[in-house]
Amino acid sequence: MGYIIAIPLLPAIAFAIMAPLSNKARNRAVPVSVAAVVIALGLSVAAFLAVWPGGHGEALYHSSATFATIGTVKLAAGILLDPISATMVVVVTLVGAAVQIYSIGYMHRDRRIGWYYAALSLFTAAMLLLVLSDNFLQLYMAWEVMGLCSYLLIGFWHEQEGPRKASIKAFLTTRVGDVGFALGLAVMYVTAGSFDFSVVLHDFAWAPGAATAVALLLLFGAMGKSAQVPLHVWLPDAMAGPTPASALIHAATMVAAGVFLVARALPIFEASGVALTVTMLVGVTTALVGGLLASVQHDIKKVLAYSTISQLGYMFIALGAGGLVAGFYHLVTHAFFKSLLFLGAGVIIHAAHTQDMREMGGLAKKMPVTTVTFTIGSLALAGIFPFSGFWSKDEILTVLWHGEHYIVFALALATAFVTAFYVARMWFRVFTGPEQTSGLKEAHLEMLVPMGVLAAVTTVIGFGSPYFAEFLGHDGEWPAAAIALTSTAVAGLGLALGWWAYGRRSQVLNTRPLKIRAGWVYSALSQKLYFDLTYDYFIVGGYTRLAEALSGFDRTVVDGIVNGSAAIWRTASAVGESIDRVVIDGFVNGTATLVRALGARVRRIQTGRVQSYQGLMLAALVLLMLWFVVKGA
Amino acid sequence: MLLSAIVFLPLAGALVSALLPKERAGAARWIAAAVTAVDLALVAWLLLGFDVAGGMQFIENREWITQAGIQYHLGVDGISLSMLLLSALLSLIAVIASWKQETKLGAYFAMLMLLEVGMNGVFLALDFVLFYVFWELVLVPMYFLIGTWGGPRREYASIKFFLYTLFGSVFMLVGIIALYLQGGTFDITALTGMGFPATFQWWVFAAFFLGFAVKVPVFPLHTWLPDAHVEAPTAASVLLAGIMLKMGTYGFIRIALPILPNAAEQWSGFIAALAVISIVYGAALAFAQTDLKKLVAYSSVSHMGFVMLGIASLTPEGINGAIAVMFSHGVVTGMLFLLVGMVYERTHTRVIEDVSGLSVQVPVAAGLLAFASFASLGLPGLSGFVGEFLSLLGAWKSAIPAAWVVVAAVGVLLAAAYTLRMVQRVVLGTPSKAVEGISDLSVREVVLLVPLVALTLGVGIYWDSLLRYVDPAVRATLALMGGS
Repeated sequence: MGYIIAIPLLPAIAFAIMAPLSNKARNRAVPVSVAAVVIALGLSVAAFLAVWPGGHGEALYHSSATFATIGTVKLAAGILLDPISATMVVVVTLVGAAVQIYSIGYMHRDRRIGWYYAALSLFTAAMLLLVLSDNFLQLYMAWEVMGLCSYLLIGFWHEQEGPRKASIKAFLTTRVGDVGFALGLAVMYVTAGSFDFSVVLHDFAWAPGAATAVALLLLFGAMGKSAQVPLHVWLPDAMAGPTPASALIHAATMVAAGVFLVARALPIFEASGVALTVTMLVGVTTALVGGLLASVQHDIKKVLAYSTISQLGYMFIALGAGGLVAGFYHLVTHAFFKSLLFLGAGVIIHAAHTQDMREMGGLAKKMPVTTVTFTIGSLALAGIFPFSGFWSKDEILTVLWHGEHYIVFALALATAFVTAFYVARMWFRVFTGPEQTSGLKEAHLEMLVPMGVLAAVTTVIGFGSPYFAEFLGHDGEWPAAAIALTSTAVAGLGLALGWWAYGRRSQVLNTRPLKIRAGWVYSALSQKLYFDLTYDYFIVGGYTRLAEALSGFDRTVVDGIVNGSAAIWRTASAVGESIDRVVIDGFVNGTATLVRALGARVRRIQTGRVQSYQGLMLAALVLLMLWFVVKGA
Repeated sequence: MLLSAIVFLPLAGALVSALLPKERAGAARWIAAAVTAVDLALVAWLLLGFDVAGGMQFIENREWITQAGIQYHLGVDGISLSMLLLSALLSLIAVIASWKQETKLGAYFAMLMLLEVGMNGVFLALDFVLFYVFWELVLVPMYFLIGTWGGPRREYASIKFFLYTLFGSVFMLVGIIALYLQGGTFDITALTGMGFPATFQWWVFAAFFLGFAVKVPVFPLHTWLPDAHVEAPTAASVLLAGIMLKMGTYGFIRIALPILPNAAEQWSGFIAALAVISIVYGAALAFAQTDLKKLVAYSSVSHMGFVMLGIASLTPEGINGAIAVMFSHGVVTGMLFLLVGMVYERTHTRVIEDVSGLSVQVPVAAGLLAFASFASLGLPGLSGFVGEFLSLLGAWKSAIPAAWVVVAAVGVLLAAAYTLRMVQRVVLGTPSKAVEGISDLSVREVVLLVPLVALTLGVGIYWDSLLRYVDPAVRATLALMGGS
């Protein structure tokens, strides 16, 4: 099974080939990147089939090598193929291949398309290395490299200010979380003496206190990467990047890495207990906040971005309830249907020449394939049978019900309602009503085929739900009728409300009704609940002011003392010199001459003449030598 | 003999170069390039013959000033080897980076080579007198490099640099003499493990601390650094940040810890506190700078704080991390100063506001600057991460209060803030007036940077490429301290 290493290696090689090339040559090297990810997809499927049907909960393949030795501790990098990582490599390479093929059409006019592909390749390599990690340090390293790629792709059109600002915001906000992650690693290392899954997750017996510390710190890292409240603010801005990159990185894979981290570290969370509760609270807050904010966006990509935040929150809820299978399964289904929606949004934006849904409408007539695939994605997101989101959402609700988390269950249902509402709001605005753009036409084949594949996966994958649980080594069941019916009813109501507000008339409505009836709610939501404003003013602004104040302090006080003592010395030596003169006037003798000579030397120091220093220096060295010689003799 | 050759070969080059007649001064370039290249080759040869488990080796120990018991004692272990390699490599790079230098060539290259003598000597000397001679020797050429070939405020900067570090080393001299009087020898290896009385150790450590801390520099003794960097010519900045700052932290590891172990433990809390302040304070000041060189200079204060934090932890992780930061900072900051110099040569400005859009106008320079920036902010997979992460691990493992370690970890975030803000303004965007029409890097300039890029990647991906040399020496050092 040595070929597993080739899965992350192929895209890495593609990057290594492309990165040093000139822009022109790199643009021609795009096929290298596409070929690498397609072959990696093939190998991933082979690896998945080798693990199937799983069920034993053990790794099928494990190989590692030491890369650092510190005393008795050896840090190793490794490849671990188990049901979870086998699933993830397929998800990453499948969405990755779909996005890369789609981008051939979407990005073909860009004059830096080669660099775009190079960054996608590096990202894919890092994500694959992350999911195949056998230890937390390697996972963290790959995680940071993904952050770099995310930065590069968000700021891809860096000549404009928006992407530039969004990219730095994304990197710094996620790095706030990473500080927690890094400290979590430090606590883990000092407590358990290792980063290896085999030690940390199996052999080591965690005391609740240490487990809580590590779990909460890792959770903080996960919250940054997976855009959980209050570290979610970077993800909507990240939509400034190219849409297919958003599909891969900011919808399907990288943002799910936080969920993956918590899923991997779940035994530590379980040893803590408290950490599970916190995870659930973070998840449910984020799910609701994300859903509500998605409901007031006009930019189609921002609707999807907030929706991603909300759905990631859903996964955290599941993990917080101890539902590894449910949370992880939702990660998988979401990766497919959300990347499908983003790719669809890319086609829509290309055709309508706008991202503002108020300027869209009537796309269904002219763009049948996109309409069908986007509809499939929408229904999956809303949680409608038989599409994939229905199954995974249902599993999460089941876990909550069985775990007797009734309040969270209710809030999760409320989120499902809100989700269905904004899905309907988006769908009716984009596809129905009068056309507002002339010359609408369907996208090219290289864009439609990836969407078709993802739509097909989204349609059928749900039926594998119980088998997937067994694959992961848990009991698989079909959904319970009561919960399935409840959730479907709630989703149906949400869709109906969305239709009532935005779909039932031929006219596209604006948001005036909500604005008039609940002014303060609307303004709070449209201000993104004031998160960004608060951060900008207090954290970014506060730090800038502090840095400037410290800079003044450094100039005036710290350096002032240095320059001040130099000035005092200068004065003192001048005074000393005049005393010398008085002394010399009185006692003309050898000692006084020596003092004067020294005084003259001192004065020459202040002249800053190079020669005097040379002299002083050499004299000092010679004197020193002499002293030693004399002392020794 | 190999070590002596490595130390004194550049001295011969410096003499020849200084004595060149004016009309032949151009030959100094080639002499310097050849000498520093051969010196690097000798270090490479040393590397090949080096036994990672062999402790102090290639020892040369001869009578020097017999009456005073002063020995000519040189030796190399994994810690000094890593610094020696850095010194030889950056010296060669500094020479080639100065190819376009035009004034007083003979003297200029003589100074660069003389500097290498001092730096190599400091890392190899095992006798205090020898160590002190090399330590002070370094000041002279650096003083002239800044004072003669520097920017507009070169006089102020060079005198400040000279007096400040001289001030520190006077205390070090006192410490050396005190050790001699108490221990009866100047031999560094013989003085280790002597078990001096605790009070005596405390005071001697204080003296060494002042000498080394100025050099590092540790807050609040750092203000000479930004001035020196801003005025220094590029090659001098590279060597100043790349090697000379490391002399201070090397002194802590080679001298202060093994000779004064009890004091090191007593002082570790204080040093850790200053280290954490340096990390955060340096980062905040870097954030506030408008001059590219000052930004890099203050970032050095912040990065060297991680070195001090690792040393203060007195753990294998921390000290390995400290040396890894020293090595990486030498490589990465070398790259940054070279690139800032290359940009300055073309745009004639270092004001961050005036330089933008490099990636559009000069993609190679911009790409390398972005690469060095990400290495500097500690991106895993590049060398900067290795040491900072290990320092944090060591600090967490040690008795250093957890809250301080948390603050140090926040420093990693602050590093990203000042670095990325610089990248955002300088590398990205559309070309500003100063950038329009400038040419991309020449082949010579790219060749200069390639070995540094390779080292950044190599150490960052395969940590043992560095740690396999360093770790055994670190363990030996800690064993000398009494097995903590």
